[in-house]
Amino acid sequence: MSTDQIIVQIEHVSKYFGSFKALSDVSLDVYDGEKLVIIGPSGSGKSTLLRAINLLECVDEGRIIVDGTNIVDPTADINKIREEVGMVFQSFNLFPHKTVMENVNLAQMIVRKRSKEEATKISTELLKKVDILEKENDYPGKLSGGQQQRVAIARALAMKPKIMLFDEPTSALDPEMIGEVLTVMKKLAREGITMIVVTHEMGFAREVADRIIFMDSGMIVEQGTPRDFFEHTKNERAKAFLDKIL
Amino acid sequence: MPKPWKKKQSHIEVSEGGAIPTRNDWGLFSAWRIAFFGAILMVVCLVFFKPDPYLDILKFLPDGILVTFKVTLMSIALSLVFGLIAGLGRISENRLFNGISSLYVEIIRGIPLLVQLFYIYYALGQVVNLSAITCAVVSMSICYGAYIAEIFRAGIKSIPEGQTEAARSLGMTPFQTMRYVILPQAVKTILPPVGNEFVALLKDSSLVSILAVSDLLRRGREFAAQSFDYFEAFTMVALFYLIITLILSKLVGIMEDKINVD
Ligand SMILES: Nc1ncnc2c1ncn2[C@@H]1O[C@H](COP(=O)(O)OP(=O)(O)OP(=O)(O)O)[C@@H](O)[C@H]1O
Ligand SMILES: [Mg+2]
Repeated sequence: MSTDQIIVQIEHVSKYFGSFKALSDVSLDVYDGEKLVIIGPSGSGKSTLLRAINLLECVDEGRIIVDGTNIVDPTADINKIREEVGMVFQSFNLFPHKTVMENVNLAQMIVRKRSKEEATKISTELLKKVDILEKENDYPGKLSGGQQQRVAIARALAMKPKIMLFDEPTSALDPEMIGEVLTVMKKLAREGITMIVVTHEMGFAREVADRIIFMDSGMIVEQGTPRDFFEHTKNERAKAFLDKIL
Repeated sequence: MPKPWKKKQSHIEVSEGGAIPTRNDWGLFSAWRIAFFGAILMVVCLVFFKPDPYLDILKFLPDGILVTFKVTLMSIALSLVFGLIAGLGRISENRLFNGISSLYVEIIRGIPLLVQLFYIYYALGQVVNLSAITCAVVSMSICYGAYIAEIFRAGIKSIPEGQTEAARSLGMTPFQTMRYVILPQAVKTILPPVGNEFVALLKDSSLVSILAVSDLLRRGREFAAQSFDYFEAFTMVALFYLIITLILSKLVGIMEDKINVD
């Protein structure tokens, strides 16, 4: 599925929180259509790296080029870039004062300037796709975690992004709801959109990932195809991590 | 339609002002009724059974009520503007905007309203020529703006950071995020304490009578000074304040109900 075109180019990126170095000289190319899974122990900088790609975190050193635009450049149009990059959060972050349909419509109408009819048409399509259309008039508070996360995925997709970022999308879910969200993500993966996923779901990583990145202490210490990574990694820290998690 | 998220709504400490009745608060609601209709009944009885001097007072006071309304409404509008600007300033990342807003809030909240009124009227009056009523409205608004700013700040802060992140990651600008995501949620936390500030503002508006603004209290004093009917004049003034304060708190309560139902 992946072509040779690079869509996200991370070059020598470092990020500090005070004197703490959360990202340390990270370089990474992501190809158009690639499914990239990032794993690593807690505090290793996975979220920080992901959030840097849509500027929820600004970096202190290095460049990040998303679809041809250097987003670290202060003159870059941040809002434009964010339209191209969808993000799904661990805690869903649906807008509680809006119904499911309104959640998916809102940014389409005020950012993409679609008419309500146009937006509703697109939202209906997407809600059907994530299998939650029957709840379109409910408020998020009435939905289960798994249902909320599927709405959040639809909301991000409605902007027609080129890249989707997922930050531990199933970590806040009860075990019986993890499957329904992963199913939606797998379906999405087959459609060719670029996906960068931070997750502890190794089954998903094995099945979907084109490449696995292992991070530790703010650095990428190992990467490879799922086969190479899970079966042949020589990196001690990666081995120790896999022993603990598998 | 039930809205489970409403339960999570946090409440901001209420500082002053009368209790605002809500529909499901029957104790207060009936207390409100007794006070409101009792006050009206008392005015009617006094005027009917003792028209001298109460009928004269009744004819004399309405001019003052209009001035009190005018000062209160203009101050409410202007203090909301000051409050919103300073409240946004207090959470702004812009150092200058934040610094000025914080300074404003700290200074104003540290000086009694009565002193501010004198200051703006007599001190600033030497530099620029302002009418008494303008001075009154400006001082009241500056003062209440500072309190309302803190309520706005607390209300906006009570919305989780994830809401802003979700909105921004969808490409919304900071303004759109505030307008469509944060403020609509914050308003439910903000409105009750702001409503209380309105009621408190209405009562504090009686302070402007020292600036030769002919509000309700001043008219009462003027009547008493002419006729020496101090007791009768101030009884009517107190009853009128009670009635209009109760009306305002009722209106605020209705507004809250409406917002919670929508
Ligand atoms: N806003 C912040 N201020 C200070 N330190 C932060 C901040 N955000 C993250 N950190 C620190 O940076 C480090 C990397 O955080 P990050 O969230 O990227 O880790 P992570 O790999 O996503 O971990 P987890 O699996 O727990 O989500 C952590 O040690 C964290 O404490
Ligand atoms: Mg994380």
